[in-house]
Amino acid sequence: MSTGVKPPILIVDDEPDVLFSLKALLRHDFELYTAESGDEALTILSQHPVHVIMTDQRMPGMTGVELMNHARAQYPATVRIVFTGYADIKAVVQAINSGGLFRYITKPWDPDDLIETLHLAAKRYEEKSARAQFAADVKAFVSDAMTLIQSTVGSEFADDVASLIGRAERISIQADTLPQEPTG
Amino acid sequence: MNVLLAEDSLTMRRLLASQLQGWNYGVTEANDGAEAWELFQNSHFSLVLTDWVMPGMDGLELIRRIRESKHKEYVYILLLTTRSANENLVEAMEAGADDFLAKPCNPKELRVRLRAGERIIELERTLIRQNTRLKQAQAALVQSEKLAGLGQLAAGMAHEINNPISYVFNNLSVLQRDTQAVMKLLERLEPCLPLLRQADPEQGQQLTAAMTACDVPWLQENLPKLFESMQDGLARVRRIVSNLRDFAHLDEALWDNMDVVGALESTVSILAAELESRQLTVDLQADDRPMIHCQPAKIKQVFHGILMNAIQASAAHDLVKIRVSQVKSFVTVEFTDEGAGMDKVTQQRLFEPFYTTHPVGAGQGLGLAISYGIVKQHSGTIDFTTKPGEGSTFRVKLPITAWAPAKSRTATV
Repeated sequence: MSTGVKPPILIVDDEPDVLFSLKALLRHDFELYTAESGDEALTILSQHPVHVIMTDQRMPGMTGVELMNHARAQYPATVRIVFTGYADIKAVVQAINSGGLFRYITKPWDPDDLIETLHLAAKRYEEKSARAQFAADVKAFVSDAMTLIQSTVGSEFADDVASLIGRAERISIQADTLPQEPTG
Repeated sequence: MNVLLAEDSLTMRRLLASQLQGWNYGVTEANDGAEAWELFQNSHFSLVLTDWVMPGMDGLELIRRIRESKHKEYVYILLLTTRSANENLVEAMEAGADDFLAKPCNPKELRVRLRAGERIIELERTLIRQNTRLKQAQAALVQSEKLAGLGQLAAGMAHEINNPISYVFNNLSVLQRDTQAVMKLLERLEPCLPLLRQADPEQGQQLTAAMTACDVPWLQENLPKLFESMQDGLARVRRIVSNLRDFAHLDEALWDNMDVVGALESTVSILAAELESRQLTVDLQADDRPMIHCQPAKIKQVFHGILMNAIQASAAHDLVKIRVSQVKSFVTVEFTDEGAGMDKVTQQRLFEPFYTTHPVGAGQGLGLAISYGIVKQHSGTIDFTTKPGEGSTFRVKLPITAWAPAKSRTATV
């Protein structure tokens, strides 16, 4: 919100009335995409950058948790939320514990709480992508610096250069393996 | 056992009476059919010994009347007579006599025939007792099946209603927010009206008229109230749905060990204000401090519901007794009030969802239905005894280690 750009969000529910209702609630705060099924949701994810995806659990065809597993594999940066009116908590708890979900929301939801939760989720996405961007920047910088050093430094410093290359490679690997999710 | 003896001959009657008394029967004597019938109507006799030929009402007529009186318990009738032809026997048996004895009768024979009668009466009584038990068991079964059916219905309803409630509730919030924005827009528009009238009198006139028709001040004052009222109404519907879910135990609660007496004490303290306002005293006594494995939140809800009912049934200064006892692997909690008791209809429908003795809208009539569902889920029982005008006792019996049942069928609708 600080940037004035609305975070793009995808909402999935098989009931059009729920989608319409949520669109009305969230239109000021978010750039909204909606899908009535898991398949439709995956198509949208392949066409648009989506920061947060929120899905109903019980849907004909693909369930919410199944959709989340697909989304996690293909778009790991996307923050994932499941909401459901059912008490089939078990599937959802499992999804949260296996590390896939950001939140679990029950129907009926509280409108103010929902907006707040979605903002938190969007913020989580920004943090995650900032980390990823930082890691990529570090890697690119190290790579450029090494190329420059190798091409300009004389052979009398060969041992020092070899040591620097070793350190650069370690830093690049570390940048790749930075944790995606902040802990806690 | 009491015997009604009808015999017009005094000598014969005295003889028979002394024999009967000698065999430890109580004897009530009548000197003709009419007197016997009078006596029979006033108090019940299981065993009747009657002469056939008597002045006025004879033995056969007496037997017919007794048979027609449709007494709850069987009456064994022995007919004494000097007539001993076969056709006499048929006539007597057809009138309803159980046995037939020729006069003068041999005391030994009379005694064994009376004993045979006693055996039949005893069998008859056993049959009635078993029949009653069977009827009660059947009624309990029907009740439990009915409630299971209602649980299924409640589960289905709770689920189906939940989705529309979700978006209607959301829409209402959106509508409230957006209407506020529109009202602000109107407020900002009003000061511009004079400007518009100057620039374009006709447009200005039309807009002024349109705004007057809307009655903006009324909207400003009442739209927020309308929204508030809708929010309240919807919150009530949401509560009912949530209670229905409890009745059908759609939601899973945590299982833990619970101190029964501690739970009762905290329930009593939660209701302290209610108790005080009605000047009621609670007397909680326990043999021990038993622990049970249960869903503590739900069992406390059961205690709360039953105690609340007891409070509502009580008059000022009444006593509500709570007794905790443990027999083998079960803990029983009894709640006894000195209140109004319950009528037949209430007794039969007590555990049905939405059955309430309060005015419509005051209570939702779900308390005992939910309690029933919860206790059942814990493999326990809940029952009551009641006397109109004297009060009621509710008994909740819970196993010390309740196993969490496999997902009940009501949850998989």
